[in-house]
Amino acid sequence: MLSPERLALPDYEYLAQRHVLTYMEDAVCQLLENKEDISQYGIARFFTEYFNSVCQGTHILFREFSFIQATPHNRASFLRAFWRCFRTVGKNGDLLTMKEYHCLLQLLCPDFPLELTQKAARIVLMDDAMDCLMSFSDFLFAFQIQFYYSEFLDSVAAIYQDLLSGKNPNTVIVPTSSSGQHRQRPALGEASMLEGVEAALFYQRLESLCDRHKYSCPPPAFVKEVLSNVQRLTFYGFLVALSKHHGINQALGALPDKGDLMHDPAMDEELERLLAQVPGLVNPVTGSPEASSLPSRTTPRVGSPWRPLHHTRKMDAESDGSTEETDESET
Amino acid sequence: MLPGKYRAVSGRAASNVNCGLHLVIQTSSLPDRNKVEFRLSKETPSFSGRLLQHDLERNYSSRQGDGRIISPVPRSRPSCLPSPASVADFCGLDVRAAASSIPALGEPPAQTLSRPRARQGCHSAGPNVSGEHSSLVSSSMPAFPILHRSTEEKILCSDRLTLERQKLTVCPIIDGEEHLRLLNFQHNFITRIQNISNLQRLIFLDLYDNQIEEISGLSTLRSLRVLLLGKNRIKKISNLENLKSLDVLDLHGNQITRIENVNHLSDLRVLNLARNLLSHVDSLSGLDSLTELNLRHNHITFVRDVDALPSLQRLFLSFNNICSFDSVCCLAQCSSLSDISFDGNPIAQEPWYKHTVLQNMAQLRQLDTKRVTEEERRVASVVAKKEEEKRRESQKQSLLKEKKQLAIRNIARQWEQLQQRRGSEATGPERPGSPSAAQDVSQAQGSGPAFPEEPGSPDAPPGPALADTHLVEVDGDTLSLYGAGALECLDRSWSTQTAGTVTTVCFTFIEFDDIVQVLPKLRMKFPNSLHLKFKETKLVMLQQFNALAQLRRIDQLTVDPQGNPVVSFTLWKYYVLFRLSHFSMQKINGTEVTQNDMIMAERLFGILAHVASSELPQYRLISILGDARKKQFRYLLDAKGKRPGLVSEDASDSRRLLTENTNRATLNYSTRDFFNERLEEIREKKQLCRAYTEGLVQEAAGIHTKAEALQRLWPQMFIELVRDAVVDIRSKDAFMKLSLQHIAQQK
Repeated sequence: MLSPERLALPDYEYLAQRHVLTYMEDAVCQLLENKEDISQYGIARFFTEYFNSVCQGTHILFREFSFIQATPHNRASFLRAFWRCFRTVGKNGDLLTMKEYHCLLQLLCPDFPLELTQKAARIVLMDDAMDCLMSFSDFLFAFQIQFYYSEFLDSVAAIYQDLLSGKNPNTVIVPTSSSGQHRQRPALGEASMLEGVEAALFYQRLESLCDRHKYSCPPPAFVKEVLSNVQRLTFYGFLVALSKHHGINQALGALPDKGDLMHDPAMDEELERLLAQVPGLVNPVTGSPEASSLPSRTTPRVGSPWRPLHHTRKMDAESDGSTEETDESET
Repeated sequence: MLPGKYRAVSGRAASNVNCGLHLVIQTSSLPDRNKVEFRLSKETPSFSGRLLQHDLERNYSSRQGDGRIISPVPRSRPSCLPSPASVADFCGLDVRAAASSIPALGEPPAQTLSRPRARQGCHSAGPNVSGEHSSLVSSSMPAFPILHRSTEEKILCSDRLTLERQKLTVCPIIDGEEHLRLLNFQHNFITRIQNISNLQRLIFLDLYDNQIEEISGLSTLRSLRVLLLGKNRIKKISNLENLKSLDVLDLHGNQITRIENVNHLSDLRVLNLARNLLSHVDSLSGLDSLTELNLRHNHITFVRDVDALPSLQRLFLSFNNICSFDSVCCLAQCSSLSDISFDGNPIAQEPWYKHTVLQNMAQLRQLDTKRVTEEERRVASVVAKKEEEKRRESQKQSLLKEKKQLAIRNIARQWEQLQQRRGSEATGPERPGSPSAAQDVSQAQGSGPAFPEEPGSPDAPPGPALADTHLVEVDGDTLSLYGAGALECLDRSWSTQTAGTVTTVCFTFIEFDDIVQVLPKLRMKFPNSLHLKFKETKLVMLQQFNALAQLRRIDQLTVDPQGNPVVSFTLWKYYVLFRLSHFSMQKINGTEVTQNDMIMAERLFGILAHVASSELPQYRLISILGDARKKQFRYLLDAKGKRPGLVSEDASDSRRLLTENTNRATLNYSTRDFFNERLEEIREKKQLCRAYTEGLVQEAAGIHTKAEALQRLWPQMFIELVRDAVVDIRSKDAFMKLSLQHIAQQK
């Protein structure tokens, strides 16, 4: 509340920047929309529930796309919801097409634009053979980058194109040296060397972009890490590296690590319970007794999708007594 | 004749080697048996000798049999003479006047001698013979044997000449017999009709069983009435132009492939074309006197022009390839026909064969060589009547079917056009108003009245085919809808019986979003519909299946891959099973749903449902579930004013639905139109809310700023106030006086 930023800005701007306004607007809008229903159980209750669900990240379920993408928190919540709901699809081992993933996305957000799914698929497939099958984890991490950093990636693409076409107006590097390098490349390099742009140059541009970018962008340190490993890289190569980057995923906090992607004991438990209810199924799964209390709102488990995600998962892991080492390293 | 000459010349040059022509003329009259042998052989002399011997043996035996060589025409006793010219021309091979010196006509050869002589002649081939006859080559006549008969014979049978089984390879020149009326060449090896053009009074010419390949040399025989050319090698009917008085023409056992060049034979009574290669019958006009036509053992598949034969009485079509009555329908017009045969045709195997024939040819006396009885006739007529009715019915059916096909094609085309237009439209979310909507309405009205009462009859709208934009068909328990306009049929009042029997509903060429809107109606009008089929309905998303959940019951779902991209997804089936689990469906796309499928579906999507139901905030849950309810009401109200009874029933149903799948009901599908509408609504509300919250926040921020400013100023103000007070109290007396003054003033 009393952070220095808070004092630096006028109230209104501060609220807008922190997307508080967005949620307030939406809350009022929802209230307006469902005023008959809500009037039955009180406005105060409604606001409590609303902001609770915002905290839990369940407020984006089945909402329109414009709302889902409105804030970084909404985006992360959506990513997490997608993972939670369709983790089983990935667990089943099915490889799906871009269109099918899109359908799954549309189950959660009816007007989810095809374009975004396509872009995510491009990252997975390196802009090639778009009707190929993809694994769930590949798609999910690519989709995370694409969806969460959508505006940032658009800018990156523009920068990449600029670099590729050779015009780098506000480059810091001395023109002669860079051009000299460019001339050398084809001489000693193979075909792969001709592809893409120079990593260092690219990073400089991206750094300045991150500085002035008003939307969320991945932590510059990680971007640097990604770019410092290679000399040259292509746009999609960069995106793939981003999507596979451990730290970025953690910083984002919506999804678990790749190794734990299929791991969600709470939901598995719930699923077992549901399976036991499938009509005609003979052997009832021995579910935990308290789980049978019907749509019991699992509020304590859900918590906030951000930090507590790792926390809860770790607790679960401990109780399971499995995968100790990996969890240690995370925290 | 050219070939003959050529043969002669080359033969002479090669002196007894080539050319395979064998002519044997024998006479068998007792008084003078002259035998002339001509022989041309490819074989070596010894071999040809053997052949000759064999032939002679045959002749010999036959002669022993009946004492005469030419049996069929008795009393004809021709005698043959080799023409010297022909001898020479036949390339210097054996030319022998058997048993006699060449010129001798009447020397009787001893039968016993003929064999050795022949052999001898054969061996003592060529050179001397050719030398002997070289003088005769100059004769202007081509190389043919010349036949003379004795005067005695001529008197005996002046008008006939029989040269049967004479091993003739050419027609001999028949001299001095201009009055001949009957000529018989049966069972020879004649390849060409020649040398008879002078027999202008010939009436009967029998060339049965020869090797003739072409009809020719008959142009002068104007009085010829009987021409028998059976068992030859004729490929084509030709050169009969001048035989105008021909009465009988027998061409059976040839290789004729079509009937032609006979149209001028107006006197022809009998035409025999059995055992040829005819594939069809036509060009029969002009044969005005034809009473018998024999076409057995051909490959005939259809018959035409028979009705152009006014006198035809007997027609034999046995053992052909006639498969249907359509191909012989002209026979029905042939009123003079009294005897017909079809046996050995595929058509004769049909159960209705006899009846149909008798019905169509009432004048028939014989069918397949059996007499037609009255009883048969009567049965035939009864059967035929029934069949006629049946045929009419089926015709009507097929007509309707055709119409239906046409309509479907039209709808398909329009559908494609619509899709293309929509494809070209840059993803416009609004559905363009169907341009043919007006047409639809008129069509529906035009065809509507008769339709609901007639289950089993397709609702093919009459009128120009181009206007067909939709089609509704009830066939047994299946209701098929083609084209978006067909959905209007659900507004009609259906008879309870029809509505009750319909268990399958097919949608074709209708957008799923349109279908979604009529689902509540479908649920009401066809309560028993258990099987839904979708084809070309633009099912592209899994969520679209959500819409089906509002139906009463579905046992089977069939989604044709054609025009429904969703079917290509691996998950679609499971999603359907999951979302529509409360129907406990039995079949999807024809495959039985197993327990494993159900579990899999739950495994894949159970969490989604759980998350949707348990994590959604209360107010949202209510509003989403309410949406489904509201939507149903909305369509209901749209459809038919208010019907309290139905509405309440529906409401109770939806309550049931809520209880059945609370956790799934949150997964809804609203059509694109509806969704866009809602988004629009939301946008408006959002603007309002934005303005409102902005006002609130601004105000709050203002108050806050003021409060902050006050906070900042307050200590100073307080100090100032205290200072003022202190300054005031500094001189006590003065302060007191002043205070008292104040009080006094107040009073």
